[in-house]
Formats: sequence, structure tokens, C-alpha cells
Amino acid sequence: MTAPIETARPYSRAWLLSEEPASRHQAQLGRAYVIWRRFSGNRLAIAGLVIIVALILIAAMAPLIAPHSPVIGDLAGARLRPPLTEGYVLGTDGQGRDILSRLIVGSRITLAVVALVAIIAAPVGLIVGTVSGYAGGWVDAVLMRVTDIFLAFPKLVLALAFVAALGPGIENAIIAIALTSWPPYARIARAETMTFRRSDFIAAVKLMGASPVRIVLKHVMPLCLSSLIVRVTLDMAGIILTAAGLGFLGLGAQPPMPEWGAMIADGRRFILDQWWVAAMPGFAILIVSLGFNLLGDGLRDALDPKEGGQ
Amino acid sequence: MKRLRLLMTCATVAFMSVLAPQAYAATPTDTLVEAFAIDDIISLDPQEAFELSTAEVTGNTYSLLVRLNVDDPSKLELDLAESWTVSDDGLTYTFKLKPDLKFASGNPITADDFVFSIERLVKLDKSPAFLFNQFGLNGDNVTDMVKAIDPLTISFTVDKPYASSFVLNVMSSAPASVVDKALVTEHALAVTPSDTYKWDTDFGNEWLKTNSAGSGPFNVITWKANEAVVLERNDNYYGEAPALKRVIYRHMKESAGQRLALENGDVDIARNLSPSDLDAVASKSDLAITARPKGTVYYISLNQKNPNLAKPEVIQAMKYLVDYDAIGATLIKGIGTIHQSFLPIGQLGAIEDNPYMLDVAKAKELLASAGLADGFSVTMDVRNTQPVTGIAENFQQTAAEAGITIEIIPGDGKQTLTKYRARQHDIYIGQWGSDYWDPNSNAETFVSNPDNADDASSKTLAWRNAWDPGAMTEETKAALLEMDADKRAAMYVELQKKSQEISPFVMIYQQTENGAYSTKVKGFKLGPSFDTNLLAPISKD
Repeated sequence: MTAPIETARPYSRAWLLSEEPASRHQAQLGRAYVIWRRFSGNRLAIAGLVIIVALILIAAMAPLIAPHSPVIGDLAGARLRPPLTEGYVLGTDGQGRDILSRLIVGSRITLAVVALVAIIAAPVGLIVGTVSGYAGGWVDAVLMRVTDIFLAFPKLVLALAFVAALGPGIENAIIAIALTSWPPYARIARAETMTFRRSDFIAAVKLMGASPVRIVLKHVMPLCLSSLIVRVTLDMAGIILTAAGLGFLGLGAQPPMPEWGAMIADGRRFILDQWWVAAMPGFAILIVSLGFNLLGDGLRDALDPKEGGQ
Repeated sequence: MKRLRLLMTCATVAFMSVLAPQAYAATPTDTLVEAFAIDDIISLDPQEAFELSTAEVTGNTYSLLVRLNVDDPSKLELDLAESWTVSDDGLTYTFKLKPDLKFASGNPITADDFVFSIERLVKLDKSPAFLFNQFGLNGDNVTDMVKAIDPLTISFTVDKPYASSFVLNVMSSAPASVVDKALVTEHALAVTPSDTYKWDTDFGNEWLKTNSAGSGPFNVITWKANEAVVLERNDNYYGEAPALKRVIYRHMKESAGQRLALENGDVDIARNLSPSDLDAVASKSDLAITARPKGTVYYISLNQKNPNLAKPEVIQAMKYLVDYDAIGATLIKGIGTIHQSFLPIGQLGAIEDNPYMLDVAKAKELLASAGLADGFSVTMDVRNTQPVTGIAENFQQTAAEAGITIEIIPGDGKQTLTKYRARQHDIYIGQWGSDYWDPNSNAETFVSNPDNADDASSKTLAWRNAWDPGAMTEETKAALLEMDADKRAAMYVELQKKSQEISPFVMIYQQTENGAYSTKVKGFKLGPSFDTNLLAPISKD
């Protein structure tokens, strides 16, 4: 007697977790499902995800949900109101502007900075790292020495120098932060590339006549992506802090943009008597940085092939 | 065993005293530490500097022939001079110096030193040179107009019979400070003469930027930009010796930082407290506050090189776009009063009416008639200290309501001032302190501009904003020669009214200077101007 052959219903749990996937499609979905299961089993990671999704939603709907104008205040009538004053949940600042509205609209700036830096820095780092790792030789030496030069400066100091040269402003702050954050990605991508540049499947592709460009783009880069994503997510908190730092020093967003760092700088002069002006944007930065860190941690655990039974 | 215990006790006591913060925080009784925003200092040379904080330093390190009476600024008192006379034609002034006075260096003070000081003021031709240019002095004739008759007698000739109080008031301003000729000449650098600078020496300008060569109650020990100015008692001072041995101005920008330092005893006097911090300090029993209205007015100015800002309707509109009432009640509460004319209250002819108020509808109407109904964009250079930043941000909001987009460019005092002096700004917000207690000081700078070219030698505020005040330049001159005080006052009233209407200066408020001090400090008083914030009478318990 033989056991009846089990055929799981497509897209069911058993089908996704099947040890012997019948198609490439099933294998891919199965892997994604495993990663998601591992990720969702981590409560902190879910908390991070919720924070980031909430941030994105708030930023998307900022003009709709902000109760007041973020830039026009009521200097004569509502200056430095404490939190929970009627109409001003988080209080008002030195210009009589609603802090909650400024935080909500400011989330757009924060998100834009993070997204743009990631879009600029991650691909640059990825390309430099994979090319360097795959090509080796003098290409590797030159690219890595350039990377070393960038790594030799503290990030904030280098960003400060760039902004000072380019002139203050949020666009220049983004460029400056992007210029200073690609080197670690290049290092990671290079290290990953080195581990499998001599492996059999690369040799096989090479034998089939694939050009180096094709190999790097189609076979090396996808394998570097997961560790890069983890690293970028973990870096986002740092990017937010750098942007806030530049804003605090008056080199990032210019008034009256409700950039969180600039808001803290503005609140400094009231810090002894009206603590909320500086504290509220501080909390916002804290929560969002925490969110990105938790999310990044969760992603690292979920994407790491060494963990879990694969 | 007993010994060991004793040792332990001693060690513990020593350790505790090191830990106790008071032991370190308290300033020595012979040293005064002031927290003061001194980022506007760009040179300590009295014949070059023209900034408020610098005036305070030079006012305490140099002597003058005559100086203002601190209690009644309408009167003058003798300093280095023993007496003075005016010739009948009103053109020649003769000063007699007090005998046997010495500079801090020990050199005797002679008529030659005064002649040298005025010569270098005029020949260096830095910003304050216009003070003496207005008497007809220039690089070529200065040595003929100012002469030493004998070691203790000075003859000073002017080109027109000005009211004598005006001439003497100018003599009492910081740029007329007497420098030590022998000492300065020793440090002078050779210069190759050029078309723009005809002299073969820098008259010690480079050295005096960071040193002092005066005879005032204090000497400059060091100046570190944006850090500190350290003054030390001049033991050769001819007047009553100051009680303090050393005075340190610590650069502190933040009002909150100044207040914390004051409350902790790290500083004895805090000079730039914001309205809210003043409120808090007023309630402390060991701290006190002194206040004095200053001859300093705050304004927003519009560079006439910008074609939009040059339109008369736009100038008017801007004056309707400042929320004077709200600013007066919040941002400058306790540190100033709304004042919309260029003469500070207290000077001859100053008017107190404030014709403008926030009126966005009216401003829009004016902009529409200028063909700018859709508004326009400009930049605004703002020194990043309060309350100007707050006022600038508020102005940005109210201007936005009328469609004017203002981009604020923050910078430190040096950056914004350098740009302003080079006429490269669009809108500037700043302050003006009278150079001497006479209405001509402000009239001359706000509504007179003899030469609107980029390379003009007389760099008035009107010039900095590339504004040609037309007939007002002449009217200002006429007021200067008017001997009858009532008529003279009426002329200044007229100038102020006209300026309120057409000048590119949006006058906002007159400063009240505050100093919060620990009650250990005795004799601390603020003067009517910055160079009369005297340190010599101050002592500490």
C-alpha cells in the first residue's frame, strides 16, 4: 500500500511551504512567505513596520489632516500655548504656529529626505561595490581607495562641508547626505560580490558567453540586494538624524519649512520655560528613527539565510 | 590606623569640594564675566570698527577729548581735554589737553596723538571715516585741518560754521578715540600705494584689529572671534582706578544659555536675554535687571538695486506688511518699543507717531498698482539671533499673505553685515545705533546719500540700499547748519515724515537695552549708547 500523493491546493499554506515546489513561481512565493512568517513572528519588527506605514500615510495625507497651517501662526493670539490647549494638541511655538500641524507637514520633508537619499546613495554604492568586487585588480583598488577617502571623514562633518560649499537648503542637504552615505553600501556590496565571484554558477554563465556587464547586472546585483536593503533601512534613522542635525545648524531646511531639526533649533530659546516647543519634534524624530531601526532589525533577521531552516 | 582615617577624611573632603559645582562656577571677585553676543565684531581698531559690541570695547579702552555725560546725554563732559574754544567765525576749534596724562603703554598723551588718530581715521577711509569727512576733511587736507600747535594744544578746522554741539558730539563718538601714536607706528606695516589707497603704511590697522593702544580704564588682552574679548585693567589710567582687574566678554548667542550661566554663577551679567528669560530672571532674589532706552533703532531695508523693491508702491506695501502690534506685544516685549521713525526718542526732533499698521488688503492694493498683483520672490538676509529672526519669520508670514515670497538666508553677524555693506542683499533686517547723540547721525545715514555709485566713499545706510534720497540729502545738510534749535528740530520732523512715506526703510522699533546681573555686582549701569556702557564704575562683592 502506498500513501496517496498529497497535492496541496495552490496558494494554500501547505502549497507555499512545500519542500518540492513544482514551479519557479511556487518557489519564489514560498520563499517570500517564509520570510514574511519569520518577519511577522517578530513583534518589534511589526511595530517598526506600523510606525513607518503610519508615517507614510500621514505624509501622504498631510494637508488633509493638519488642523492648522504649518507656516502661518497667530503671533498675537496664540503664542507658546502649552500642549492640550484647546485647538492645539501639542501646543504652539514662538510664532504662534500649531506644533502638531508642523510635525505632520514636516513628516513629508523627513520622508522625502530619507527616500531621496536612499534612491541616490544605494544604487551608487551597489554599482561601485559590485563592479569593484567583480572586476578586481586596479579597478577595485581605485574604487576602494575613493571609498576609503569618503569613509575617512565623519559623516556629519563631511555633509557640513558639502552644504557649506553648495549653500544651505533642503535640496543641498539631501545631496550632501547622499554623497556621504554611499561608501558603506559599496563596501557591503563588494564583500558580497567577492564571496561568489568564483562560484560555479558565475563560471557557468561566463561559459555561456555572458558579458561582464550582464553578469554584474543580472547575476551579482540581485544577490547583493537583500543585505543592502537591510543596511539601508538601518541607516535611515541615521539619515534622519543627519538631516535634522543639518536643519538644527541652520544648513538644512530654511524657515519657515517645518523641518523637525530646524524646529528643535527654534525651540532651544524656550527650552527652560516652554519645553514642548523643542521636545515635540524631538519625540517625532525619536519615534521615526526607532521605527526604521526596528524595521531594519526585523528585515535583517528575516532575510538572513543563515537563520531559519533554509 | 588613626592616621589613615585622617588621611581618608582629608581625601574625602578634598574630593567633595572638587565635586561641588559652586566651587568652580563662581567667578573671582576681581574679574567680571559678561555673557554677550559679540559676533558682530570684525575689528577692534577704533578708526575702523563701527559695530555695537565693538563700540562697547573701544568705549572702555580708549579716551576721547570730550565724552557724553552718561546720566544726561544732552550734555558733554571733558575727558582728555581741559578746555575748548571756538573762533568767532565758527570754523576753528582749539582744544587744550590736560597735562601729564599717559597711555596704557606709559607714553605721554600729546596733541600729536590726537592728530595722528584723526589722520588715520580719514586716510584709512573705513566705514566711520564719513564722521570727519562731513567736516570737509579728506586724506589730502587732514594734516592742514587738524594740527598740533604745541604738545598740549590742538587746532581743529572745519569747512562750514556747524552748530558747535554737533562738532563736539562727533568728537565724543568712538571713532575719534585717541590712539597711542608711538606704539601704533611701531606695528605699522608697509603698503604699496595704489589708485584706491594712496598711502605707504597701513597706520597699524592690521595690528590694532586685535590689540588696543589707548588710555582708557582697560586694555584689550585678546579677542577671539565668536569666543571672547578679554580686557585687563590699565594701571596707567589717569582717572579713578577701576575696581575690577579683568573683564571677560564671553560670546554667548542663546538667551537660554546666558540665563543658565547667570543663574549658575558662571557669568555675572547676561546682556542678551529674551523677553521670556527676562521675565524668569526678574523673579529671582539674587538677580536684578537694569534697563536703558538706547539710541538704536531696528529696521527692515529694501535694496533699491532690486527692480521690484525699487517701486514706490512696493516700498509702501512693505510698510503695511509688518505686524507691529503683535511684534510689540510678544517678540520685543521688554526689550524695545514700536517706533516708526528713524530718530530714537530722546534726540532733538524725534517724532513718536506710528502711522503704519498691519494691513494686508492695503498692501495688496499697492502691489497691484505696481503691476505685481501676483506677488514676487525676494531673499532676506537675517542675522541668526533673536529677536530679528523671529521678526523676519513673522514678516515672512505676513508678506506671504500679500503674495510676496521671502526666502530667509540666515547667517552670523559677520556674513550678513559683509553682504549688506557690499550692497548684495535684497532685504536686510538690522539695527542702527546713533554714532553720536545728535539727530544728524541718524538723518545723515538714513536719508542722505551724496554719491550712489558702488565705489562711493561715504557709505551711509541709504547708500548700502542703493537709495538716492534726492533733495533730502541737501535738506539734511541744511539742518546741520541751522543754529536755531527749534527750527532745526522742525527740519528733522519734516525729514522723518518724508522718510516714513518714501524711504526703503521699514522702521520697526527702538531698542531698550537690558542687563540682568547678579546682585554681587555693584555699580552696573547701562549708558545711552554702547560706547557709554562703562565698566570702570563696576565692582564686585
